[in-house]
Amino acid sequence: MMQNLNANLYKNRRFLPVAATIVLFVIAYALGAFFYTGMREVHTFLTLFITSPFLLLSAIGETFVIISGGIDLSVSGMIALTSTASAALLRAGWNPWVVMPLMVAMGAVIGTILGVLITYMKVQPFIATLAGMWFTRGICYIISDAEIRIYDPVYKLLSGTKLLIPGLSDPVTKKGDYVTILVVFSLIIFAIAIYIAHYTKFGRTVYSIGGNNGANEQSARLMGLPVDRTKVLVYTFSGVCSALAGIVYSIYVGSGHGSHASNGYEMIVIASVVIGGTVLTGGVGYVFGSLFGVLVTGLIQTLIQFNGTLSSWWASIAIGALTLVFIGIQSLLVNLNTGKSGGLKSPATVEARRRQLLSFGIGAVVVVVLALLVVPFIQNAINKSAETSTSISTRCQRQPFRPDQAASLIKDGAVIAYERNGGQKCVDELYAIYPDGRITGDNGTQKIEKQVTTAEVDKLLLDIDNYGWFTDNMYTTSHNPCEACYTYFTTVSYKGQQKTVEAVDGGTDAPPEYFYITGDFTVLIPGFAPAP
Amino acid sequence: MKQSKSFFDLRKITESKIFYPTVALFLILLFDLIIIPGFFHLEIKEGHLYGNLIDILRNSAPTIVLAMGMTLVIATGGVDLSVGAVMAIAASTACIMLNPNLIGLKLADVTKEADPTYSASPLLLVFLVPLIIAGICGLWNGILVAYGRIEPMVATLILMIAGRGIAQLVTNAIKIIIYNNTFLEIGNGWVFLLPFALYIAAFVFAIAWFITRRTSLGLFIESVGINSRSSFFSGIDEKKIKLFAYVFCGICAGIAGLIAVSSIRTSDANEVGLYFELDAILAVIIGGTLLGAGGRFSLFASAIGALVIQATTTSTLALGVPASAIIAVKAVVVIVVIILYSRQVQDFVRKIVGQTKPMESKS
Repeated sequence: MMQNLNANLYKNRRFLPVAATIVLFVIAYALGAFFYTGMREVHTFLTLFITSPFLLLSAIGETFVIISGGIDLSVSGMIALTSTASAALLRAGWNPWVVMPLMVAMGAVIGTILGVLITYMKVQPFIATLAGMWFTRGICYIISDAEIRIYDPVYKLLSGTKLLIPGLSDPVTKKGDYVTILVVFSLIIFAIAIYIAHYTKFGRTVYSIGGNNGANEQSARLMGLPVDRTKVLVYTFSGVCSALAGIVYSIYVGSGHGSHASNGYEMIVIASVVIGGTVLTGGVGYVFGSLFGVLVTGLIQTLIQFNGTLSSWWASIAIGALTLVFIGIQSLLVNLNTGKSGGLKSPATVEARRRQLLSFGIGAVVVVVLALLVVPFIQNAINKSAETSTSISTRCQRQPFRPDQAASLIKDGAVIAYERNGGQKCVDELYAIYPDGRITGDNGTQKIEKQVTTAEVDKLLLDIDNYGWFTDNMYTTSHNPCEACYTYFTTVSYKGQQKTVEAVDGGTDAPPEYFYITGDFTVLIPGFAPAP
Repeated sequence: MKQSKSFFDLRKITESKIFYPTVALFLILLFDLIIIPGFFHLEIKEGHLYGNLIDILRNSAPTIVLAMGMTLVIATGGVDLSVGAVMAIAASTACIMLNPNLIGLKLADVTKEADPTYSASPLLLVFLVPLIIAGICGLWNGILVAYGRIEPMVATLILMIAGRGIAQLVTNAIKIIIYNNTFLEIGNGWVFLLPFALYIAAFVFAIAWFITRRTSLGLFIESVGINSRSSFFSGIDEKKIKLFAYVFCGICAGIAGLIAVSSIRTSDANEVGLYFELDAILAVIIGGTLLGAGGRFSLFASAIGALVIQATTTSTLALGVPASAIIAVKAVVVIVVIILYSRQVQDFVRKIVGQTKPMESKS
């Protein structure tokens, strides 16, 4: 029995990292569902997909590049550039159906240039794509220093449309569990990528190039495969995927800016691909695994949010630790395949390595699960020791909301009362927008006033209504905010209806429409002079 | 006869590692001289020199320090992506030791918070402990690379991803403002007309130069980078050599982190050392050490490489390009540099200066 299992395991060892990822995902999700009732809902599971279509698209392109033995750091810059360029073109009045193919073409061109540099000029992939990342991000700021919001109806339609899942939703009231068009789109590209990877000449050539420290590339060349052309095409493909991810990103966040997808987005993409079982030295990996890599990184963030007491930076530590675990599994696998470091590949060594690998894999899963359980306790202890001391716990203290003041503003005839707290400088700003176009702001110490046209206020109110402010889709969320995040408290009074919704930035559980609305506010409201 | 002798010299010059970075630096400064009026203006104010040139020297200090460690790592055939994150860890550690009150971990006299002479721990420890921790980070990388046989880019990627999280863990994600005057001197002080950070960079350079060029360590590092297997057979403990390079690189990152945090006066785990790993690698590449292949290295050329990067940044700023768009200019510089170093161009240069045999491909 054990012998049989061992033999099977050895035969299918290539699937081991992917299998480990899937097992890890299932165990972690099950644990989460055990501790937090909210995670038992189908909605939470779907949110993993809804919040990461762009990550999946980037990961698909990155998987191909890594399998071919390269690396692509330009994915994050490409997202920023695509979002900024498309937002700028849409603002200039271009047709969105022209803009989107144009962006894909731009991605293909930039990817091809990088591929040519890497293949023919023999530039290290790391350096060339790094330059690509810098260049694309820099161009964003040359296009526009400020964030450009997208008001295009097609983009809003694509982001706002909910595809209700039959059986889990009520088609009459249009409520229930749903996915977005973006999710479906990313999954279609995902399916196409799997087909390309395993059923086309191009895909098989990509696998044959990567791995074995460049020796496989040499063999592929000797076999007469079009190595150079394939290497360039891999980067072209990655560029197209990044451009698609950028379009999806700009639809998802409703704006374009050079700081989009920053803070190590490319590292999260690479980590997702590695966690998904692709070997960073190339040659081995599955596009299929990258989906689970993306889901696991998303799950880590979801778990941290549901926990509430954990700070968001635990996510980066957890992702780093997971990457280490999977790299460990992979390096053992590679040694197992080539019999490296032992020289001779005697059955005893193979047997020993197999056992080592198995115990390492099981040990890794156990460690990760234990860590998931232990970390909250450590965090609680840190928080307690911080709370019990009497000294100031933060340099700037998040101010509480002022619901009474907001209510009185509405009573005085304001149509919108909008409070924004927190952020880097712990602001505490309460704005009131009146139907005659008057906007007043109050940040506790000073007051400010601005006049806009009544048409602008009408359009804003209409937009808010269209985003479904007065439906159940706009619900209050108030998990623990992250360090520099804003919290919002917004009351809208329109056509005899009045509703207040609270939300927190940086969370994935708030409806995306909420942040379109706060984005619209940001354009209108006056800014306070910085505190001395 | 005389003609050929001078050609020979020219060839020797173009093959020196210092040639290309110096030419690049010269070209950038020449560009500044023509395009930007008053770029070379220097004046003495409050007892020290002011001007764009001094700015370049001062701001390049952390990159020079990083480049020293990175040169050794790249020379062994590796790379260290985690230096930026290690800088953040060292900076956070120093700040928490200076003033733990600010994150409320310790009951202490809060009125001392903004006192410019106050430090919770002895100042010597404030400087030493972050360096030791940075050394441990380097040790971690070194163990993964040398003994774990993991690809360097992959092994150091782990700390790069997790490092900033660890740095935030140290300070509980709170930005600590530094008030201590002595600590602020590292990044902002002046000694004999020149910024103090520059002396630190020179000191690190001197140490790196001494241990690699006055002992046989430098030769060992080069030999490990060229062929670690044959180095092993000729009696060099390649694992220990690699381990040393990573630990040294970690300590350099720690020093750079202290300089950086001292000059921005706030420990911000998300900002300290952001993208510095890229600058450091770039400096080494401009300095002519081959990324991914290792082998011969020149510390001095790497230091000039760091100056080239900073000169580009400063002159672009002086041109009025928005600070956030500078990376696009940097990218163009990178592309130009790597094309200059590509085999096609190198062969072309050799043809011009009279060498008939084309260079053998390194890979």
